[in-house]
Amino acid sequence: MKHITLASKNLLRRPVRTVLTVSGVSLAVAVAVSLGGFNLGYREALDRSIERLGFQMMIMAKGCPYEAATMMLKGGTGLLYLPADIYNTVKSDPSIQSITPIFVGIAAKEGSSIRDDVSTQSFSIISGIDTESFMTMKPWLKFKTGTGYDPGRWFEHNSTTEVVLGFEAAQYEQRKVGDSFYATVTPNGQTEVKTHEFKITGILDRTGTQDDGTVFMPLKNAQSIFNRTNDLTIIGIKLKKFGAVELREFEGRWLKIPEVQVVSLEQVKGTLVSLVGTAQVMIAAVAIIAVIVAVIGVVNTILMSVYERTGEIGVMKALGAYRSDIFRLIWLETLAVCTTGGLLGCLIAIVGASVVEAAIRGLINLGVQGSIVRITPGLIGGALVASILLGFFAGLYPAWRAASMRPIEAIREGE
Amino acid sequence: MSQTPHSVIIRGRGLKRYYRRGIETVKALDGVDIDIHTGEMVSIVGPSGSGKTTLVNLLSCLDAPSAGELSLDGKLLAGLAEDRLAGVRRGLLGFIFQKFHLIPTLTVAENVELPLMFLNRPTDRKATLAVLTSVGLASRADHRPKELSGGEMQRVAVARALITNPKVMIADEPTGNLDKATGEAIFSLLHSLVKNQGLTVIITTHNLALAYQADRIITIEDGRIVKEERGER
Ligand SMILES: Nc1ncnc2c1ncn2[C@@H]1O[C@H](COP(=O)(O)OP(=O)(O)O)[C@@H](O)[C@H]1O
Ligand SMILES: [Mg+2]
Repeated sequence: MKHITLASKNLLRRPVRTVLTVSGVSLAVAVAVSLGGFNLGYREALDRSIERLGFQMMIMAKGCPYEAATMMLKGGTGLLYLPADIYNTVKSDPSIQSITPIFVGIAAKEGSSIRDDVSTQSFSIISGIDTESFMTMKPWLKFKTGTGYDPGRWFEHNSTTEVVLGFEAAQYEQRKVGDSFYATVTPNGQTEVKTHEFKITGILDRTGTQDDGTVFMPLKNAQSIFNRTNDLTIIGIKLKKFGAVELREFEGRWLKIPEVQVVSLEQVKGTLVSLVGTAQVMIAAVAIIAVIVAVIGVVNTILMSVYERTGEIGVMKALGAYRSDIFRLIWLETLAVCTTGGLLGCLIAIVGASVVEAAIRGLINLGVQGSIVRITPGLIGGALVASILLGFFAGLYPAWRAASMRPIEAIREGE
Repeated sequence: MSQTPHSVIIRGRGLKRYYRRGIETVKALDGVDIDIHTGEMVSIVGPSGSGKTTLVNLLSCLDAPSAGELSLDGKLLAGLAEDRLAGVRRGLLGFIFQKFHLIPTLTVAENVELPLMFLNRPTDRKATLAVLTSVGLASRADHRPKELSGGEMQRVAVARALITNPKVMIADEPTGNLDKATGEAIFSLLHSLVKNQGLTVIITTHNLALAYQADRIITIEDGRIVKEERGER
């Protein structure tokens, strides 16, 4: 028989206690792995989302920069507007490479939805855009092809009846090119809702950004159905040269307009990262506490089992076991508990990633699309190594206690 | 074997063992001279608390004397650390105690083979079965300890002590937890091992009738040997 065989048989002696201890470890590891996955995934999702906005800066109405940021990235309510003529003024700035005006409005999907979901799902984000400058910013936008999608094309510049749907918006509505799309809006300053019918001229391919959930229409038409013909929501801007100096100079030139703020997406990213950072610190604290509690549980369980076996340990020593034999035995038991817990924890984290994702999204508005929990092989490997290390250290004290038992006292106490 | 019959395998001279209990010093063993010869069975008797356990613990290097000297198999032991004492014990001494301390998750055979693991010796099921046969438990090899009676468990403990082929078996009140008949059976098992396999046995017991079946009976009181008699064997 090997030490490891004996160690694992010892653990099976009190199966319930062992299972509880292993569960403690696995939960702690699962929390830690999920948090790590969130850290990895969120940074990536944020980078991707911001890069895919196409512009580096935006001009928007003064307000909370965080709200501005999430609205841009995800779409949201409580939209603020700025006067449309600011676009014409800013356009002439010499440092600008490209600029695009965007009008965002929220429409109810009255009667059009085949699903009966939560309230947030019954709204559509309508973006009024100027296709030419918009496409300059986002050259990667492509129309989806295939049956039901052909022939995808942008709406006419001055059409009042055509829209283009983002991939998810179309999927959610189960719309094909040529189908009708209904949007019910409350025009600015009026109380009565008005339903408009549109023809879908194209459906965009998936981008993994907020564009997927958006309904696009000509800028003019969007402004007109919301009765805000002189308003814009955002002006997206790409500078010829983008750096801290250029940014400051540009800001200096345009901050003098009282109603607007110039927001760089680096700033947005910073705001989001720090906001999410706060949540991460909290979750990390929970994870650390869970790990500490689990380790205490492991030490406690193993110590208890050592004391229960005082007599046995004494007899083993009398029959020739060295200190190192006893040490190894108890240490292996601890390692086995922590390693098993680590493996299970990683499994739970992998299986539960989507649950964690939903929970985090429910907790805070992250302002990104796509998967935010990314569990990589490196992360799993790290978690396993950490579990083994935890077992390594958690086992030291109980193993030392057991190894230090003097045989006669152990045998006497065991009687 | 290197020893000629009746050579001294354990020799104790002036053995003392004092315990400190608060400010009081308990003289559990207070100057004992003793020789144990190869192939003999020695009973140690005496009232409870007289120092029997203390003496056998010293004789078997489980404990170190406060004063006096001890030699085991010709080697003088003094000031050795726990692991060095374990090294001396390993393979030379076998133990059984009042409680059996079998490992409940292991089978009878696995319990018997346990000491081999510590001695880094390979296990051999045939040898294990031979030892189990010698204690009359061959048919129970694959049972768990909880399926056995007290007497059978003590037999497993005897087999576990025998598997390493020790020269001396130390049995501290091995019949203490057993009823009279079962206790007598364990005693005769040890007796037969002495007779048939040349084992040396040191046994402590309360049962004087049993004790007198040994080669020699040593009576201790208050940590001193008060009487040494020849037994019936
Ligand atoms: N660890 C100890 N600490 C203090 N006193 C002890 C200890 N072990 C034994 N004694 C005392 O030493 C004496 C002899 O004990 P022991 O050898 O166990 O006697 P016996 O085995 O004959 O019943 C008793 O008075 C006992 O209380
Ligand atoms: Mg005793």
